[in-house]
Amino acid sequence: MTRSRLRLAAELLGPLALVGVVALVAAHLSTSDQTDAINVLVTATIVVGLYVFIGNSGVISFGQISFAAVGAFAAGIYTTPVSTRQTTMPDLFGFLGRPVLTNLESLLLAAGLGALFALLVGLALMRLSGLAAGIATFAVLEITYNILANWEKIGPGPTTLASVPVTTGVGQATIGCAVAVVVAFAYQRSRSCRLLRASRADALAARGIGVSIVRHRLGAFVLSGAICGFAGALYVHSLGSINVTEVYLALTFSTLAMLVVGGSQSLWGATLGGILLGILSSFLTNAENGTTVFGLSFTLPNGLSSIIFAILFVGALMLFPRGLTRNREFLAKALGERPARVGVVLGSGGKPGDGSVTGDGSDGTPAAATTAHVTAVADPEP
Amino acid sequence: MSEGADDGHLLACQEVTVAFAGLRALSAVSVTLDRAEIVGLIGPNGAGKTTLVNAMSGFAPIDHGSIRLGGTEISTLSPERRAHRGLARTFQHGRLFGDLSARENVELGAIAVGCSAREARRRTHALLEEIGLLALAASPASELSHGDQQRVSVARAVVAEPSVLLLDEPAAGLPAESLGELASLVEHARSVRGAGIIVIDHNVEFVLGLSDRVVVLDHGEVLTEGTPSHVRSHAGVAAAYFGTIGTDDPGALTVQAP
Repeated sequence: MTRSRLRLAAELLGPLALVGVVALVAAHLSTSDQTDAINVLVTATIVVGLYVFIGNSGVISFGQISFAAVGAFAAGIYTTPVSTRQTTMPDLFGFLGRPVLTNLESLLLAAGLGALFALLVGLALMRLSGLAAGIATFAVLEITYNILANWEKIGPGPTTLASVPVTTGVGQATIGCAVAVVVAFAYQRSRSCRLLRASRADALAARGIGVSIVRHRLGAFVLSGAICGFAGALYVHSLGSINVTEVYLALTFSTLAMLVVGGSQSLWGATLGGILLGILSSFLTNAENGTTVFGLSFTLPNGLSSIIFAILFVGALMLFPRGLTRNREFLAKALGERPARVGVVLGSGGKPGDGSVTGDGSDGTPAAATTAHVTAVADPEP
Repeated sequence: MSEGADDGHLLACQEVTVAFAGLRALSAVSVTLDRAEIVGLIGPNGAGKTTLVNAMSGFAPIDHGSIRLGGTEISTLSPERRAHRGLARTFQHGRLFGDLSARENVELGAIAVGCSAREARRRTHALLEEIGLLALAASPASELSHGDQQRVSVARAVVAEPSVLLLDEPAAGLPAESLGELASLVEHARSVRGAGIIVIDHNVEFVLGLSDRVVVLDHGEVLTEGTPSHVRSHAGVAAAYFGTIGTDDPGALTVQAP
């Protein structure tokens, strides 16, 4: 296997392995701790969804949780028994009254609705970048929240939609998160995503070589909407209930924080950030209700968990401005074409070297030129 | 691309006027470019050279006039549409995608106009080999030397196999010894695909040596145009560059034949 193939394999298998580790640990936890583990996996799925748009396009969006909200409510309503719907949500539109979908159907519906909603929003917003994109997508979140919180013909309004079948266990959350990772990986190998990433680096130059930025951004936005909608369905099916406040500001900012701390421009960063900070977040939340670590029981005052989370968030960004992964994919540096890492051949004549990158000048090659040749030797591609 | 109008010119700008906030950057400039022709565009700072290239490539909307590519009006098309029609350009300072590798930069130039990944890889390999940058293909573009960035940026435009290639200061900051490689890259684009090429550069010797025809812009208007030797002997050109003192120093623009 060539080095570049290894790197590609690591790019996918690193995040998948991390998801697998969480699943393995979760399988041995008590039921209540399993709920937390499932929540970590579902949150990581949302973060991967955010990454697909924000990471690849370089455009900020505060609106992706809207798609998770739509997915969560659609999946929740359509899997609730018809009689329960009639009693708890008497004002529902007729088309929401039936049918009753299976778990899998509801996951697919949520992904589809997330994508559709993202398409409608994206058609209007994808020309925006920078601050304008931030404000406009934030407006989408506000609009979605207020409609869901007040319009009782499409859902429970401000009340909690309870008695949703709890069908997302550790297995389904793991598979769901892994599916999101695989989809994000496949997408970032695609032609469309490569061009989108070019536009992230330099929008003007990208247009100059023929990149229709709006179109590729829209593609990423819709795919991100699908993943977020899907994650919303996992969310509702893991808890068995949903209130609109759960898919609003707090989730928006915590998942964005996870993406940024992990490293917003790599799939590895998104997955790592989602899982690490997800674990941290649920630990701190539990600590507010009293927890035991290594036999030591303690209870954090209410609100302190958010403060600690925020301080750690700021600290992480000060130490790693480009995220814990420095925006690199898993093992990308170790498997990269770095002179110091490879069996070095110095100079153009292919003379075996000692691994030194500075060039010993034994073949008369200046150090800079030697480094260049070393890089070439390390490069396995044509 | 069908030809027919504009006396068969590949690219024809007619009476192009571009104004920024009321200030005229270009006043009724007419320039043509034929297949397999290299046209140099020179003139002092602020003459409107880059504005003309921006107008041709769609980055500067024109206020009056027309721009035809292969007989088709393109002046209302977006830059990306023009790129798909075979018009490629470079930018001053390269404007590479800094976090992507040199190879990726060049490949994307082909992929963006619809090349298959395989074909893009093939062309990129050939081009990088030709300009001697294969060794640095995997380096992030931002870590390349300025000169290498310039050459990668030209390669990113050439790889699309355009019919029209607009080069905005490709030689800026290049050491003299690598000008030859750049010139051969430009020649390659002309000879292999019959591309028409417009070159802007402050290195007048480089432009005159490379071009079949030279257009001199000054204050947003065409001062003169003709063969390199015509331009060399044109008193107004030196005056435009150096003021009246320049006319006393004809040596400023003399060169040996390339």
